[in-house]
Amino acid sequence: MEHLKELISRFSCAYVEDYKKIWIKAKLNSKDDLLDVAKALQTEGLRSLSTVSPTDFAEDGIMEINYFFEDLDTKRNLWLKVDLPRDEAVCEIESLTPLFASANWHEREAYSMFGVRFLHHPDLRDIIKSEDFRDKYPFRVDFDWDAHEKETVANVQQIVDAFKKEQSENEVDLESDSSETILNWGPTHPASGPIRLRVHCDGEEIISIDPDIGYVWRALEHLVTKKDFIGAIVAVERLCFMDNINSMVGYAMAVEEIAGVTITPFASWMRVLLGETARISSHFMGMGVFFNNMGLHTLAMWNMDTREFFLDFLESYSGARIATAAIEPGGVRYGLDMRMFDELQKALDKFDANIDEVEAIFVKNPTMRMRAAEVGRLSADEIHMFGLSGIVARASGVKTDIRIDEPYAAYDKLDLEYITQERGSARDRFVMIFEELKSSVAIIKKAKQHIEEAVANGEMNPTKDHMVKVPKKLPKGEAISRVEWARGEVLMHLVTQEKAKSPYRLKMRAPSFNHTMMLDYLLRGQTLSDIPLIFGSLYVCQGDLDR
Amino acid sequence: MSELFFNAFVFPGLLYVLIWTVGLFWFFRKFMAALHKRVGPSFNGKAGSYQTLFDLSKLLTKESITPDGVNPYLFSIMPLLAVIVAMLPSAFIPWMDSFVVIKSDYGLLALVVLIGIEPFLLFLTGFGSHNKYSFLGGIRILTQAISMETAFVLAALSPAILFSTLNLSAIVEQSSWFSFLVLFPGFILYFIALLGLLEQPPFNIPDAEQEIVFGFYTEYSGTNYFLLQVAMFAEFMAVFAGAVTLFLGAYKGIFFDSYLFFFLKMLSIALVMMTIRAATPRITLSQMLNFSWKYMVPLALLNIAWIFFAKSLWFMGA
Repeated sequence: MEHLKELISRFSCAYVEDYKKIWIKAKLNSKDDLLDVAKALQTEGLRSLSTVSPTDFAEDGIMEINYFFEDLDTKRNLWLKVDLPRDEAVCEIESLTPLFASANWHEREAYSMFGVRFLHHPDLRDIIKSEDFRDKYPFRVDFDWDAHEKETVANVQQIVDAFKKEQSENEVDLESDSSETILNWGPTHPASGPIRLRVHCDGEEIISIDPDIGYVWRALEHLVTKKDFIGAIVAVERLCFMDNINSMVGYAMAVEEIAGVTITPFASWMRVLLGETARISSHFMGMGVFFNNMGLHTLAMWNMDTREFFLDFLESYSGARIATAAIEPGGVRYGLDMRMFDELQKALDKFDANIDEVEAIFVKNPTMRMRAAEVGRLSADEIHMFGLSGIVARASGVKTDIRIDEPYAAYDKLDLEYITQERGSARDRFVMIFEELKSSVAIIKKAKQHIEEAVANGEMNPTKDHMVKVPKKLPKGEAISRVEWARGEVLMHLVTQEKAKSPYRLKMRAPSFNHTMMLDYLLRGQTLSDIPLIFGSLYVCQGDLDR
Repeated sequence: MSELFFNAFVFPGLLYVLIWTVGLFWFFRKFMAALHKRVGPSFNGKAGSYQTLFDLSKLLTKESITPDGVNPYLFSIMPLLAVIVAMLPSAFIPWMDSFVVIKSDYGLLALVVLIGIEPFLLFLTGFGSHNKYSFLGGIRILTQAISMETAFVLAALSPAILFSTLNLSAIVEQSSWFSFLVLFPGFILYFIALLGLLEQPPFNIPDAEQEIVFGFYTEYSGTNYFLLQVAMFAEFMAVFAGAVTLFLGAYKGIFFDSYLFFFLKMLSIALVMMTIRAATPRITLSQMLNFSWKYMVPLALLNIAWIFFAKSLWFMGA
């Protein structure tokens, strides 16, 4: 850590300071130093760039860019800031994509939403936002949403025209006597979900893939700025419906840090319990989708059967099965009626009764092994290079798990170990989900037992301890928080202004964004049959892909 | 004349195929639901038994959309042809003792040829759809048909060689428990090739919905899609009936001979097929090609050698 700090101090910085346990926060005085800093960091071992997040300070005329560098091995992280002029004509900075492959789409997103131009970026096109936002930068604070939305008909026409134009021109460059073609794999494809892959293929063989994302873009990062700090959880949990609890935990942690609030032990244990329940509900879907994409629906049906029982528990606790809104800044939203644990026990019993069957029939399935054990392989180096996280990273043997690296809620009180696979193939990622499912159930059992004992001893009061008061107005400040989401690392970067009633800026870095970026890399030279398989194994959710 | 009419439109013709389609479809759904831990159709009729009837009649009355830029004749005539060709083999099948619509000494040949034509018709549906996914599906079905049919024909030949006849009725008459054992390897090969020909998992490559939407079916809707579904189930019947006739002794039963046994034998083949469907993911096109040419065809040839050997040992006197 000290060495890293010293390394940064060599450049001209406004400040270099420790932040949390494993972060260093620094601000560069000049954007010209950025490339040199990045090169130095890369040699130092910080090989992943988690995300690029601009914050638009309109009153000061400044566009502040935040870079989050991570080293997945030694867990040293750097939060680097640099100021740019806000004026669109001069709002530009050197691209880090040539050095950090993971920066590619994140820089494109910053360009699309804030109009920051990245010089020497290999492919600086719009991403996520629809065609009617061309040359408009919707996340700039002075963007007039009302004026834009008045022109609904014209906007839709613009989208339609652009699509038709693309479809009429996309094959013009191909040779007329070749068997090359461009397939639209989605957005209404049986296995795609709301995403479109432009698959350039020669017969069955894939030449390249260009994902077109943004079909479920809800501008969540903008929506939260229109709500108060509690109302914002509704937007945050819609990052992806499959694991909504953990994204709310991340947001709540950031707010609590700015407000200077510490939550009760009961609330932190409940966050573990609910978070793992949501993780299980997501992993069940993930495993099902993997086999669905190979044309076998049995596992998805069996998993749904068990998953219902876990959703029953969420329903008994929060009143909702999917969009629970159960985590709030300051703790968890509701007190706990101990009878709710009966529902949870039913789910755990159901899980224990079925899991061996699933392992014997599906995890050890020889046909699945034949298809998936060799395709989509990612080495540990590629994980670092592309900033991948979660089950995808661990399937390649990279020991990264934010629950262990930077423990939050009550995870530091649990003895967790890294679960990894070695080969990094599509099959390993599936096995990884399965193994993590089992470990999540073990965590739930421990958390449940702990809460039950503490309530019996009188250490916790389940009806009163769930919430600590968080002031409605927050001071000026900023915080980052990371959680291990079902799909990987979610990083929230929250900025507030003086006496803020709502977030000024909330950047949500979601893992599917990086994982979708890998499609082209993994699928070149493969056949059409591998698209759904690899797509399913990367465990992508379009909700957090588009946000 | 009236007998011919009965044969064409009632048994084993149109009505029989329609009832088979509705019944088997319902049975597939119910059986699959049980394997999936679901309920399956349950509202209409006893255990949802009317559901497929309603579904198919709904399909029949829905608008049949013909996309822009296709040849409407090719597009619409292919499903009809597919149904007819798929129904024809049942004319050569000895459904009951001394009941064959077309008595022929070359019944096996007719069966194999008529089953073999079907994939080419489906290829033409894909070719005529003016859709990239349909075209890919068409190419795939052709590739699969060519590689699976070799093993299929070789496996179907084994009873003909054993009994020295291509007449299906004669094959059934001569079959016994012992010949069933001799033909058992051939039956296994026939069954695997059958999965390939009928596009069933793990060989459901031509209409792999997660890869190429629905293959050659993609553009079809309404009546045309209904016809393609009937063609698919008629094809099931033809291939199952072929297996039962060639290897399992057709209508021969335990205490008495009846069509009932024929039906039960077909149903048990369907059951095994569905169970495989519920437990096996799809393989890729190249894996299918590998499997077919590296394992299936050589094994089928070995099987022929085994049949010659068995024949010279035990069947020469007959």
